[in-house]
Amino acid sequence: MSLERTELVVGEKRSPFLTWIAQGIMIFLALLFLMPILLIFVTGFKADAEIVRFTGILPHAPTLANFERVLQTPEEFPVFRWLLNSIFISSSVTLLVLTVDSLAAYGLARLNLPGKKWVFGLIVGTLMVPGQILLVPVYLILNRLGWLDTPLALIVPAGAGAFGVFLLHQFFVGIPRELEEAAALDGCSRLKIYWHVVLPLSRPALATLGLFTFIGSWNDFIGPLVFLDSSEKYTLPVGVAIFQSSFYTEYGLTLAASVLCTLPILIVFLLFQRNIVKGIAMTGLKD
Amino acid sequence: MTPTLADPETISSKAKSPKETLKRYSGWLFVLPYLILFSLFLLTPLIYGFRLSLYKSELLSLSPPRFIGAGNYAEAFRDPYFWKAMTVTMRMMLLVTPITILTALGIAVGINSLPRKRQTFFRSAFFVPGMLTISVVGIVWRWFYSPEFGVFNAYLGAFGLRPPWLGNPAWATLAIVIMTVWWTVGGPMIILLAGLQNQPEQYLEAAALDGATAFQRFRFISLPLLRPVLLFTIILNVIGAFQIFGQTLLVTKGGPEFGTRTLVQYIYDTAFNNYRMGYASSMSWILFVVIGAFAVIQFRVLREK
Repeated sequence: MSLERTELVVGEKRSPFLTWIAQGIMIFLALLFLMPILLIFVTGFKADAEIVRFTGILPHAPTLANFERVLQTPEEFPVFRWLLNSIFISSSVTLLVLTVDSLAAYGLARLNLPGKKWVFGLIVGTLMVPGQILLVPVYLILNRLGWLDTPLALIVPAGAGAFGVFLLHQFFVGIPRELEEAAALDGCSRLKIYWHVVLPLSRPALATLGLFTFIGSWNDFIGPLVFLDSSEKYTLPVGVAIFQSSFYTEYGLTLAASVLCTLPILIVFLLFQRNIVKGIAMTGLKD
Repeated sequence: MTPTLADPETISSKAKSPKETLKRYSGWLFVLPYLILFSLFLLTPLIYGFRLSLYKSELLSLSPPRFIGAGNYAEAFRDPYFWKAMTVTMRMMLLVTPITILTALGIAVGINSLPRKRQTFFRSAFFVPGMLTISVVGIVWRWFYSPEFGVFNAYLGAFGLRPPWLGNPAWATLAIVIMTVWWTVGGPMIILLAGLQNQPEQYLEAAALDGATAFQRFRFISLPLLRPVLLFTIILNVIGAFQIFGQTLLVTKGGPEFGTRTLVQYIYDTAFNNYRMGYASSMSWILFVVIGAFAVIQFRVLREK
């Protein structure tokens, strides 16, 4: 539709030479930005001697030794265990956030609740609170609950964030009333309307929220750093950081561990990049 | 969202039976699970954190927490490490935010000038660094910056340059800024790109027909239209830049000479290395107020013009 017109305008005014220069610069910059990630993956396959004397991006003698060593140090560095912990925690957080936030957003967006304006205002107001200032009091509350050094410390507080409720609320408000009314006339309860009408219509918003939540939880570093103590309970990001402080100069080893930490999230990104990018663009255009 | 006369549910519910009223209130059950979590892990910590900041509360000391009023705040204002951390934080923010936003804007404009089919690749390429966890980012960049084994000096060495990347406060600050821009430029870039693509075509077309150059079209049409989106990304970025922590903890450990220890890292050290929870809370609240003040000022200044 509108895209041919844009190109017409741009193409009309700009010489092909300039367009090529612009594209060349963009390709160069994109490669520059991707280089560190490429290096993580490629360098994991290099022997340490080759890493220390950096002579080129690609390995001259690729080796799996680093990966073997990472997976064979289960005693103090149970990498596989960390992977399972990360999967468990991130999945639980995502499930919790999607359930609790969609129920709340349904109530606040679609039901005629007395006083909901004030409650929604309060919830949205906390979007402004920088997460770091909650670290100390949340730590003390978790301590009192006896949840420190358990996965609960990372899962349950993650359900308190206001972002998901806000995002889903904005989406739910736009669903046409008629669909809901028709279901109500058919004798559907509110819970059934939520489950059979509102949720199926909101798949894109739920997908966006689910992805953001999963990635955020997977990459969370400060939470597990502060709330967990024993190394067998760590998630990958903290495990990898501890790994690095122990194998300080063994870059091959730490980079191989980094590959294991990064690969799952890169796969998620490649599969869902459309939803992720759209979701971020959406947050910026809501005035 | 105020109830209007057109809302039949509102009118009818006023005069309805107790059963109807019960149904209206019972709707809160949908919100309840979230409200419990929200109260317990957002509202309570917020208030508790403030209360804590008025107490001398030290986990390792034998004496119980003691109310000292503004004592922790007074201590912060006398504490040279606090001021050092505040200066470092401000300096980081003043470098990170303009560089990130200008880079994001440049990339967004660059991508926007490409044919749509090719945009997907570039969008992802600039965004994907933000998908990495900070500990992996830290590992890679530490290696890059290493004076003997690092990738940067391997290349720069060919030109006879060997900057002491993490060796002195100025270079270490620059090193943190570079990696932060690389890591975080994707978010604002995508928002700005969406902003550019959301602009009505007519203005740009009309200007092009009037003979405006590409630069003029950007300067006098796209950029003013982009103002609200730009404001949003700047405020978001400033809030993020004030909270830089993982990078410095992992790459420089706040050094050398505390030259890169940000306020959040000082709060972390105070709370979880020295267990001075009250003092850490008071500094958290100072940070909160500073961030809030900056957001309001920016909103005013950038909105007005």
